[in-house]
Amino acid sequence: MSAITRLRGKTLNTIKNSTALISNRSFSEETEFRVLNLRTVKSQAPVRRKINKPDVLPPRSNQMPVDQDWGSVWPGQRTFHPATVPLPVRQGYTEKNAPPPSKFGNAELMKIPNFLHLTPPVIKKQCEALKQFCTPWPKGLETDEKCNKHFEIEVASSNYCYSSPSIRDPLARIVTLQIKLSSLPLDDHARDKFRRIVGDRYNEENDIVTIVADRCPLRQQNYDYAMYLLTAVFHESLRFEEWEKTKSEIDMEFYDWNVSKSKSSIESIFGKPAEEIVKADVYSKAVGALMNEGENEYTLAKYGESVREMLQLPAL
Amino acid sequence: MFHIRNAIQMLGTRVPQNQRLIHTTSIYQKSQSGRYRITPKRDFPLTYEMANAPHYIMQRKSWNSWNTSNVLGGPRPSETAVEDMFIRKFVTGTWHSLFVSEIIIKRQHNLIRIAGIIRQAISARKMYFLIGYTEELLSFWLQCPVKLELQTVADKRDVIFKYI
Repeated sequence: MSAITRLRGKTLNTIKNSTALISNRSFSEETEFRVLNLRTVKSQAPVRRKINKPDVLPPRSNQMPVDQDWGSVWPGQRTFHPATVPLPVRQGYTEKNAPPPSKFGNAELMKIPNFLHLTPPVIKKQCEALKQFCTPWPKGLETDEKCNKHFEIEVASSNYCYSSPSIRDPLARIVTLQIKLSSLPLDDHARDKFRRIVGDRYNEENDIVTIVADRCPLRQQNYDYAMYLLTAVFHESLRFEEWEKTKSEIDMEFYDWNVSKSKSSIESIFGKPAEEIVKADVYSKAVGALMNEGENEYTLAKYGESVREMLQLPAL
Repeated sequence: MFHIRNAIQMLGTRVPQNQRLIHTTSIYQKSQSGRYRITPKRDFPLTYEMANAPHYIMQRKSWNSWNTSNVLGGPRPSETAVEDMFIRKFVTGTWHSLFVSEIIIKRQHNLIRIAGIIRQAISARKMYFLIGYTEELLSFWLQCPVKLELQTVADKRDVIFKYI
C-alpha cells in the first residue's frame, strides 16, 4: 500500500516538475507579447527588436496530386485563395500588352463570387446523397391537366432571400389564390352572381378568378383569409335573395330573348306562343346577336333578313 | 463662411429662435474622389483597386461590398452601409497596418465574409488570435456569423500595381 502511495507521489512530482519546466520555458520564450515595464532601470539596455520573418510554407497547390478529391479540398463556399486553387488564373486589366495580374495578391479574384465548391462531380455526389429523402411522384398526376383536375385551387406566395441578417420580408405575406370558375359547381344564376361579386378579379379570357390577400401581417393569416373569401363568395352566390326577383331587363348582363320585350311583341302580333311561329328561332338568334354583339353591317343585315322571313315578305 | 454667418444673422432676426435653417453637406467632388494624383518623383504606390478610377467599377474592377441591400426594393440599405463602414474601421484598427488591400465585405444570407490581403508581418499565433478576436467581436456586435478569409503576401510591394 505504502509502496503504491510512494510511487504515485513520485509520478505526481515528476508531472509537476515537467509542467513547471514547460511553463517556465514557455514564459521565457514568450517574447512575442511585450511586458509593460513601468519602472525603468538605467541598466536596462534598450532591447532592439529583431525582425525575423515568420516561416511560411510554400503554396499548398504545389503538392496537390492530380487525382485528388476536389470536393474535400474545397467543400463549401469560400473566398478565392491562390495557395489552395491549383489553377493558373489571372485577372485584371493592364495596358501595354502586359499580362493580367496573377492570382497571388490579387484582390479582384477575392471579390468575385466563385463556384469552386459546385463542380459537376460534387453536385452529382450531393444529388446522390439527397436521393434517399425523395419520394416517387404520385400516380395519376403525370400531366398538368390531371393536376389541374384534381387540385383546382392554385395558391402562390413568394419567398425572398436577401443578404441581410433578417429573413423577414413584408412582401412574403402576400398570397394569391386562383381557381377556374368552371370547376365550381354553380348554376346559371349562381355563376352570374359570383361574377358580379368578384368583379374584375375574374378574367374572361381564361376563366380564372384571382383573389389576392395581403391585408394580414402573416402568410398563414392571408391564406386563411383568401380561403374564407372564396368560401363566402361561393355560398353567397348560391343563395337567392328576395330582392333578386326585381332584376329587370336593363340589369341583365346579356340580352336574353326569352324574357325580352321582343318575344312578347311578336307573340301579340301573331297571336300565338313563340314556339309555334314559323322562323321565330332565326329571328330570336338575329335579335340576340344584334343586342349582344352590337350593331354592325352583318348583324343588321341578318336582322333584316330574319324579319322578312318571319313576316313572309319578299326578299330585297 | 462670411456669407453664411450673415445669412444666419439675417434669418435670426426674423424667425423664432432654436431653429436651424441652413443645411450643409460635404461637397460631391465627383472629379476628384477615388482618384490619385501623379507625384513628381513618380513613386507613389497604387494597388490595382486604387489604380482604377471609380467609373471603372464593373468594367475593370468590382465592388468592395457585395450585398443585395441596394437592389431595387432591397431591405435595410442604410443599415448595411453603416455596418460595412463599422467593419472596415474595426478591421483596419485591429489589424493595424497589416492590410495591404481594401477590405472586401461579402454578405450571403446572414453570413458576413470579410476578405482581404495582409502582410506576413506577425507570427501565425498572433494572426490566429486576431482572426478569432475579430470574428468573435464582430459577430457579437452584428448578431450574425462573421468569417475572415485572408490571404497573406510576403511583402507589401507584392500587391502594388503601379507607381505614379
